[in-house]
Amino acid sequence: MKHGRYPFILSFLALPVGLYAWLVILPFAQAFQISLTDWSGSSNSFEYIGFDNYVNLFKDERLVLPALRHTGIILVVLPVVTIALGLFFAFMLNLGGRVRRGRIEGVRGARFHKIVYFFPQVLSVAIIGILWKQVYAPENFGGLITGALTAVGLPAPVNGFLADTRFVLAAVIGVLVWSAVGFYLVFFSSAMASIPRDLYEAAVIDGAGRGPMFFRITLPLLWDSVQTAWIYLSIVALDVFVLIYMMTPERGGPDAASEVVGGVIWKYAFNHGEQAFASALGVVLFFAALSLAVVSLRFGRRERIEF
Amino acid sequence: MTNTPADKHLMFNRRNLFGATAAGLAVSSLAACATSGGDDEAGEVEVGEDAENPFGVDPAAPLDVVIFDGGFGNEYAVAHQEIYKRAFPDAEVNHLATQAIAETQQPRFAEGKPADVLDNSGAQQIPMDALVSDGELAELTPLLEAPSYDDPEVTVRDTLREGVLEAGTFNGKVYALNYVFNAWTIWYDAKLFRDQGWTPPTTWDEMIALCPTIKAAGIAPWTYAGQHPVYLYDMFLMLAGRHGGVQVLKDIDNLKEGAWNHESVVLAAQAMHSLGESGFLLDGSAGIDHIQSQTAFNNNEAAFLPCGSWLPNEQKAIAPADFEYAPMGVPYLEGSAQPGLISAGGDEPFVVPKNATNLSGAYEYLRIMLSQEGSQIFGDTVQATTVVKGVALDNEAAKMTDALVSNPDDMFQPQFRYWYTKMNEEVRPALGQLINAESTPEEFIARMQTVADETAADDTIEKFTHED
Repeated sequence: MKHGRYPFILSFLALPVGLYAWLVILPFAQAFQISLTDWSGSSNSFEYIGFDNYVNLFKDERLVLPALRHTGIILVVLPVVTIALGLFFAFMLNLGGRVRRGRIEGVRGARFHKIVYFFPQVLSVAIIGILWKQVYAPENFGGLITGALTAVGLPAPVNGFLADTRFVLAAVIGVLVWSAVGFYLVFFSSAMASIPRDLYEAAVIDGAGRGPMFFRITLPLLWDSVQTAWIYLSIVALDVFVLIYMMTPERGGPDAASEVVGGVIWKYAFNHGEQAFASALGVVLFFAALSLAVVSLRFGRRERIEF
Repeated sequence: MTNTPADKHLMFNRRNLFGATAAGLAVSSLAACATSGGDDEAGEVEVGEDAENPFGVDPAAPLDVVIFDGGFGNEYAVAHQEIYKRAFPDAEVNHLATQAIAETQQPRFAEGKPADVLDNSGAQQIPMDALVSDGELAELTPLLEAPSYDDPEVTVRDTLREGVLEAGTFNGKVYALNYVFNAWTIWYDAKLFRDQGWTPPTTWDEMIALCPTIKAAGIAPWTYAGQHPVYLYDMFLMLAGRHGGVQVLKDIDNLKEGAWNHESVVLAAQAMHSLGESGFLLDGSAGIDHIQSQTAFNNNEAAFLPCGSWLPNEQKAIAPADFEYAPMGVPYLEGSAQPGLISAGGDEPFVVPKNATNLSGAYEYLRIMLSQEGSQIFGDTVQATTVVKGVALDNEAAKMTDALVSNPDDMFQPQFRYWYTKMNEEVRPALGQLINAESTPEEFIARMQTVADETAADDTIEKFTHED
């Protein structure tokens, strides 16, 4: 390497790396430091108490443990359902239609469907929250689903879906899936478009149906995209704070039935005045997210096929 | 967060200015981050001889006021600041009106540079228990002992209504001035009751007997803001306190062993439970917020609604013109020892941070707020009573509320919700489950007794008690 090149590169890197260190790494490091104290958040005095916060974290039956459980459920259900639906819709829109003159086409009106499915992606999450809060509302307060259920003679929760401990988490996950599936439909569609058509046509000639075509050709060749989607969705799943905050009673209720880790961090930091405890939970979440990404990248690795 | 590195501990002189530039990044990041900043020795404010300026306010010192911009707005505060500037024309008053109290003010406390006067209210208030146990607040005794704004012969304390300092008192020390007088009552539409020929019930049994009649008229007896079960807190506790006397509630606040297992508390829990079980709640109540429940109430979809004194004024423009807001105490249980007990006192806590730059100015500002002129301004702008005596409001609901709180011995504000955040977080969902008959009274009692015992056993939580 030529003389003087390093200083040249370094001079370019100094500013971004410096900013990154100051605005990202330092706060992370500080969250860890704070998590070892008893800092309330509204004072400039604190004492170091070792790992007490971390120990107490896993004794908190009221907020933290339910939140970890719920975040765990979302972490599993959200990616699986969203990716499954996204793949299914993308497959149908691209290859679900009839075979015409040896070419496979999507279902009728595929372009229109794509736009409709993508639509929730354009809405801000605040609007989605307000919208669905009303959709899930009690029947005599204008709830759409409860009203529809009653209209066809089916039982509906009298207080709406969000005020019922049995349904609230599922209701929130439903909204998450609804708002994410459009994006992954488009995402998988474009990935599918890059799979050579002759592979499918060969499969059709060999007499393969839609099912084998999907599982033998599409899915293996989309594996990279599925993996990417999985990681993105997992990150979303670790932070559903906004929807919980906007939609559910008492921001995580009723009775902690929809608490998630992000929301509990917020509650401890600002409602309870226990910033140190919140930081400890934040550190746990940070490492959980990190290991999640590492694990899914490691175990998801497959042989690449060039075409 | 913008910040100058001129913290008191970081004085830059010419000699180390060079190094300071290099260290600029580190310093500003440290100052910007939460865990630095000096703990200044807070100044003490003495009450001087001068009745015009008892705290010795520096006329040129700026004053930093932060107002919660909620239901009361901030117009009244601007008017208070005008009075302050009339007295100290050279002082610059910095006024911030916001709903995000914790988000904007908590970092300032952490830095050691808080506002001078802070209206710590709203959903985003900084937890009082944390502020008090961290020693972040100045005690308000100098203010209370100072001569009042209008009459130097009368101290500020003597201008206040009875029992209004209770809410801001922590272990006998007053740390917050709760400026608004509020009573938690059950509201009903007097016109509806008149038209239907119903008598507003005074006892629980009368109320329960009336409920089927109300239902027969196509109206649900009760509704409440199901998404915020905190609206049930005072109703439930007054039910218990009325039955067993105020000591029952003091024992709960004082975390006395077995306080929740007291017979009166159990009876109150059973009564609350019976509302949901008997179907006396408006369908969907558990799923609605306070605005929806109040709207349903305005539309006569429900007959009773538990809420605070601010309600009629808040609903004035919204409720039908002939809707007659009338308050009553929670219908008491049979055999009640203190049937007049009512949760009333100060609300909307104004605090003075101990590290405030202009401490004496802050006291003076509160003294102005408590003047006849200051509280009349508040009463006129927001149609709510302040804690100052002798400011009358010209509306029927306020007069009826005054009649309910006429006996100072019957006024008591349950405090554990404010003293112990953990118990607050437990009682709210627990009450919501109870009234909807999702949990049994026994489960409710056991749950609350558990959290009370845990709080009592936790040495890291600072304890507060009622005097006497």
